[in-house]
Amino acid sequence: MSQVDVVWRRRRRRETRHLLISVLPGALWIFIFLVLPSAYLMSVAFMTNGGFGQPQMPLTLDAFRNLAGFGFLGWSPGNLYTLWRSIFQSLISLGLVVLVAYPIAWYISMCRPRLRAIMLLAVVVPSWTNQVIRAFGWMNLLSPGTPLSTLAEKMGLIAPNMGLFPSDFAVTLGLVYNFLPFMVLPLYAAFEKLDHAQIEAARDLYASPLRTFFVAVLPQTLPGLLAGSVLVAIPAFGMYVIPELLGGGRSQMLGNLVASQFGEAANWPLGAAGALLMLLATLLGLVILRRLGRRLGGGTEMVI
Amino acid sequence: MQNRSFRKGLAVFWWLTLMFLYAPLLVVMVFSFNSINTSARWGGFSLRWYERLMHNDVVINAISHTLLLAVISSIIAVILGAMIGYGLYRHRARKLGLLIVLIYLPIVMPDIVFGIADMAFFVQINRLTGLLSPGLATMVIAHVTFQIPFVALIVYSRFVGLDATLFDAAKDLYASPGQRMIHFILPTLKPALLSAFFLSFTLSVDDFVISFFTAGPESATLPIYIWGAIRRGISPEINAIATLMIASVALVAILSLLFNRRRA
Repeated sequence: MSQVDVVWRRRRRRETRHLLISVLPGALWIFIFLVLPSAYLMSVAFMTNGGFGQPQMPLTLDAFRNLAGFGFLGWSPGNLYTLWRSIFQSLISLGLVVLVAYPIAWYISMCRPRLRAIMLLAVVVPSWTNQVIRAFGWMNLLSPGTPLSTLAEKMGLIAPNMGLFPSDFAVTLGLVYNFLPFMVLPLYAAFEKLDHAQIEAARDLYASPLRTFFVAVLPQTLPGLLAGSVLVAIPAFGMYVIPELLGGGRSQMLGNLVASQFGEAANWPLGAAGALLMLLATLLGLVILRRLGRRLGGGTEMVI
Repeated sequence: MQNRSFRKGLAVFWWLTLMFLYAPLLVVMVFSFNSINTSARWGGFSLRWYERLMHNDVVINAISHTLLLAVISSIIAVILGAMIGYGLYRHRARKLGLLIVLIYLPIVMPDIVFGIADMAFFVQINRLTGLLSPGLATMVIAHVTFQIPFVALIVYSRFVGLDATLFDAAKDLYASPGQRMIHFILPTLKPALLSAFFLSFTLSVDDFVISFFTAGPESATLPIYIWGAIRRGISPEINAIATLMIASVALVAILSLLFNRRRA
């Protein structure tokens, strides 16, 4: 072994030690207090429900059968309704978020550069407030007797004295409100890079405004749109606070189902099975994001 | 598309959306000064809900828990996160894929799964060893876990923005590792550490779900108190507390903006 070799090896060992010393404490922290608990939670999903909601040993798939509605008293559709509502609510609110965010992002990209930063900030700032308080603000705006509820009553949209809250509608509204910035930011990033030559070319070829949009604008903003969709739909799917506060008892979503199993309903395995489902949805979203990032050449990293 | 009426339409839509974004916050703020006990009608200006807050020990306790939790967790997270950020930068030539997945995990994990996983874990640990009974300690642990990644990313990106030859320069001038740390790394890192601290602080104050599941009976923070007050029935006091929280968030936002601008 030559002298150089020894020096090089010693140096490499020192570097590895440095890496471990600097990275290990934080990495261990995340591992012990997030990875291990999640692994435990996932294992609970395959256990049996004991007396006081405590998971017990024989490993079964009971929790998943429970989640699909099979319980003590035979099959009931309650849990499946909850699942369906989660999917439906996250898709509906995603559609509405797109409808609002698209013009907003476009408009911001048209303004003077100095103004743009302020406008983006104006969109993001409300989301810095605690989400409980934001939901509470909507409760104030939508409860029976408020101007908005009275207006809806007069137009015959809701029954008298019912108010717009609590309802499925209030949940959708809350979701749209909560996730709007998540769509505006990636869309804006796409609009900022918009190649205006394509639009002019389309117009020079006498394309109608609508055709110009579909041929020259939409394809260019598609990466931002798709990235935003993942960032909205996946977290909306597992939302807890908004359905709990704005929905009342009948607008529960998966997050509420999971939470109640660890509280008053006391069925940890069922709750863990729901949590597992949420994790799978998140994983799916991440895979989609990565695929997008690779195929469309970056631009998605800045999102988070 | 540069067509004038199209642009005007977009401008109108922009202002409507802005109204939509700020209406719930404004309602809370305005009605915190309402003299009567409802958010449906305006009964005149009054400060009675704020006065009531001053005498509400539960609220004062919740405020001090919130601040204590935010400060302690942010300090721990800044230390651990900065170390990760530095390690990531110094060894960026190596394959650190698994480590990066680990660091992104707390960011992408749905907060309800995060909170419940920690709760279930702490309950079992507590049953086995008697340690980690739910309270401020468990909340600090959970908060640090979701703050570390943000700190690490801020510090890492600050290092990437540096001229790499500066490190060599320090070495060429025979600075020892300790001297390099004190005279070069820490001073250049100071703005990044400060903004990481501010971000961790706001993340902690902003969090509800994870706090909610890891809290004990004696360690309710302000968001948890507000949640409970809402569940028990709407009280105009909530408007007053919420207004204070909105105002402090706005203050922190403005401060960090000014701070950032001066740096740029």
